[in-house]
Amino acid sequence: MISKEKLKDYASKLMFDMEDSEYETLQSEFEIILKQMDLIGQIEGISEVEPMTFPYVIYHAKLRDDVVKDELTKEEVLYNAKQVKNEQVMVPKVVE
Amino acid sequence: MDYMDKSIDEIRKALDNNEITSEKLFKEANALAHKYQEEYNCFVTILDEKEEDTSNKTILSGIPYGLKDNFSTKGILTTASSNILKDYVPVYDATVYKKLKQAGAVLVGKTVLDELAMGGTGTTAHTGIVRNPWDKTRMIGGSSAGSAAAVALGIVPFAIGSDTGDSVRKPAAFGGVVGFKPTYGRISRYGLFAFASSLDHVGYFTRNVKDAAYITDILKGQDELDMTSLPDDGKKYVDTIDNEIKGRKLFYIKEAVDLENYKDNDDPELKETLKKFYETIELCKQIGFEVEGVSIDRKLLNALYPSYIAISCAEATSNNANLTGIPFGSRGDGKSIEEIMFNARTNGFSELVKRRFVLGSLILQKENQEKLFLNAGRVRRMIVDKMNKLFEKYDGLIMPTSGGVAPKFGDKTDRLSDRYLILENHLVIGNFGGFPSISIPSGFVNGLPISINITGRVFEDDVVLNMAYKIEEKLNYKNQIAKGVK
Amino acid sequence: MYKVVIGLEVHCELQTNSKVFSSSKNTYSSDPNSHVSAVDLGLPGVLPVTNEEAVKKALKSAMALNCKTPDEILFDRKNYFYPDLPKGFQITQVTKPMGKNGYLMINVDGTDKKVGIRQLHLEEDTASLDHYGSYSLIDYNRSGIPLIEIVTEPCMNSAEEALAFLEALRSVFLYCEVSEAKSDKGQMRCDVNISLMEENSTKMGTKVEIKNINSFGNVKEAIKYEIKRQTEILQSGGTVVQETRRYDDEDMKTYSMRNKVDAIDYKYYVEPNLVPVKLSNEYLEEIRKEIPPLQYERINKYMTDYGLSRYDATILVKEKAIAEYFEETIKEGADPKLSSNWITSVILGHLNKYELSITDIFVTPKMLTNLIKMVNDKVISSKQGKEVLYKALTEEKEPAVIVKESGMKQIVDDNVIEKFVLEVLDENPNVVLQYKNGKTNVIDFLVGQVMKKSRGQANPAMTMKMIKEQIEKR
Repeated sequence: MISKEKLKDYASKLMFDMEDSEYETLQSEFEIILKQMDLIGQIEGISEVEPMTFPYVIYHAKLRDDVVKDELTKEEVLYNAKQVKNEQVMVPKVVE
Repeated sequence: MDYMDKSIDEIRKALDNNEITSEKLFKEANALAHKYQEEYNCFVTILDEKEEDTSNKTILSGIPYGLKDNFSTKGILTTASSNILKDYVPVYDATVYKKLKQAGAVLVGKTVLDELAMGGTGTTAHTGIVRNPWDKTRMIGGSSAGSAAAVALGIVPFAIGSDTGDSVRKPAAFGGVVGFKPTYGRISRYGLFAFASSLDHVGYFTRNVKDAAYITDILKGQDELDMTSLPDDGKKYVDTIDNEIKGRKLFYIKEAVDLENYKDNDDPELKETLKKFYETIELCKQIGFEVEGVSIDRKLLNALYPSYIAISCAEATSNNANLTGIPFGSRGDGKSIEEIMFNARTNGFSELVKRRFVLGSLILQKENQEKLFLNAGRVRRMIVDKMNKLFEKYDGLIMPTSGGVAPKFGDKTDRLSDRYLILENHLVIGNFGGFPSISIPSGFVNGLPISINITGRVFEDDVVLNMAYKIEEKLNYKNQIAKGVK
Repeated sequence: MYKVVIGLEVHCELQTNSKVFSSSKNTYSSDPNSHVSAVDLGLPGVLPVTNEEAVKKALKSAMALNCKTPDEILFDRKNYFYPDLPKGFQITQVTKPMGKNGYLMINVDGTDKKVGIRQLHLEEDTASLDHYGSYSLIDYNRSGIPLIEIVTEPCMNSAEEALAFLEALRSVFLYCEVSEAKSDKGQMRCDVNISLMEENSTKMGTKVEIKNINSFGNVKEAIKYEIKRQTEILQSGGTVVQETRRYDDEDMKTYSMRNKVDAIDYKYYVEPNLVPVKLSNEYLEEIRKEIPPLQYERINKYMTDYGLSRYDATILVKEKAIAEYFEETIKEGADPKLSSNWITSVILGHLNKYELSITDIFVTPKMLTNLIKMVNDKVISSKQGKEVLYKALTEEKEPAVIVKESGMKQIVDDNVIEKFVLEVLDENPNVVLQYKNGKTNVIDFLVGQVMKKSRGQANPAMTMKMIKEQIEKR
């Protein structure tokens, strides 16, 4: 079974943490998925199937013309930012 | 003042005959929205002022509606029922909202959903649970919970939702109303907060099939902002809704509805629901449909739910990675950038959502991707291929929308039971293949509504609406609202 | 001694009107957040839509680098959290990059080398972060600008080769007009992978990555420093750590940023909002047609067909416009060597002095060709020709008009020259005698006298020839 520590690590890579009990629920959920996916792996001929990403083959798709439009005003860009300075979104110093 | 439980045709007539004005309609809907808010919690935001009407006249001019709170509405709070967006006021309009505005439809409010549209209970919104208008101790289902309840309560004649697995069709069934999601790409997703982009569909709740056709006619069309949107087919679906259906062929999946398969199951509700389903099948035959049971590989059917979970969680974890509280959304406290993102997300999401994100992330991990994510995509193709094969012979799949009635709050479902695995999850087939799919009320079990679902060939929204209309006509549950609330 | 192995990852912003997946303006602006759309900001509900121009330019670059192009356009998501990435993922290409398995020819000190290109893919740029005392500011103008990334094989063996590759690559971008490729504006950025291995070993050394070096000069310096650093470590018996380093252009050293122990899993998967678009042969050929002959090809042609030196040929192809100008004069009938000579000596000097581009100048290839013809036909002397060219460039007048106006015409009439020659010989009997006595260099004095009399218009070669003939007769 996947360890709680490992799940915590995955969560932290997604930038959040959860309660202990929540990790336990997650552990069992993941176990179920793994078991079910094991069964899926046994479906005949599955390995020869191309995984599907789009619901159907879309022939009509068009690339966009290179025309400038739909820009937001500066006020709109910054409208939902909680901290703004010099017309930019301000955050604590980012260190690489 | 009681127009909100009427059909679009009836309201249109009243407006055109000057029996009522759109202002009065808005006031009626607004009053009802407030009246039921505490009890049922349909809305995140109720608009108390009617938006300015700049539209051309259409069938929807002056008619109130509700919009799920995961559609971007410029200047109107849009939360996706999540704490991380509790103060978010969009600066652009979703295409669906823009089209409805241009058509003159009047927005009454933004409806509650399961947080970020993930979930099927209507219990995970940051503003609380949504209750079923037929029985307050029960769920309305989700994720488009508020929209379903608002239409079932007769607050609005229609409401917009979104459907990634069954998020329109299932709550429609539990609310005794019509729920329709057209072909993938028929309606632009631009401005719909993404859950799982390859499965997300715009859908809606109405109280009859014809109203769903009216709305589709208004909303459909290619959008240059959504590369997956379809060029308009030039049809008006409402015009062909009453076409003859004699000779149309339907099939149902034997494995899912055969009572023989549930011998060990002592759930009387399930048995009653299946019995009613066969009654509906008989009725379909009476009006000229040919209906047959078809067998589909059990292993493939059992794979529906896990494959759906794998695909949807994987896409969801990526789609929601924009929620960090930096350019928008609730910001976390902290001294470093990592800390503020971490706190924003830790406090901004509830448990279910977080678990799904971690699952999605696990599924996409390099070492798991082949077995989990790509195999799910393979199942998706196998199912869709199988459906398309069947659609060479049949015009549609008919199934009970759910294996029972709306569950009670606190009901524990065994997710691995046969009922759950197939009967409660077959609707995702419609999302896997982008097939048009509609649920219409088909009767009652224990005084609570049940539904049947019809799924058709991709692009053939008109045929699906036509078939549903004809069945609805015979079933006689048209235009119902929750008993007792009026 | 150790063998140096270098691979490069080069990012280049494409020049388009709008961004790669949104319609906001693709521009370098000092006014922050002035060209941003909802898509660039990653607002909930937005969808990307691919810009055809960006696709074409990426494909064009891939073809110019001899890469195989894909059967369809497809994008993937690269998932990671960083404050300059508002969506929390970058749209890029892994499954079907725009180009695979190509190469670019370079030449270092006269030796040709084929640098393998592993892949070229189209992706979106991130927002820019500016760092201050205790905070950073985010400007989203750059977010979504089309970017191509070129990954080479680890096949370069010196700083000079790396630099030659970068310069050759830059010229491909400029020749194909896909980017301005200015490194000072951050339009072209480079990461370097470098390792050292034992001279006769087949075992690769430990790879060190140097990130985001902002000029070609610095790439060279960073590599040189890194070779020195790694050599010292290895010679003293140490081991090189696999890590990412950054280059500091003040003290010209590299510094460790992070160890690459815990590699990030980017959880790549196909971008579900960008529908695959098939690429037909016709479509690809339309793009391929737009690719002009490139530097390497042109240098070889100039050397073999026109007999130019590598040095001159290299100067002429530095800019496509200059090469085209040169080729135009040849089409007009100019002698290639003379044309090359006049362009490199006079015209390029003029361009440098006034910071002009060759497309800015008044003198067209046709005018230059005519001027060269006038010299060839001895209408004017070569010296006069250069004077005329200077004048034509600075005063913006047609050379033919200058020649006419200044009466600057070479005398090629035998009779006229003979008249001057006889006069000069008659006036300088002593000098004639000196010549006859073997002091033949005095002939220059006699030619000079003829020039003086003819006000510089006598053809010097004819004059010299005639003086010799006339002295023989005396």
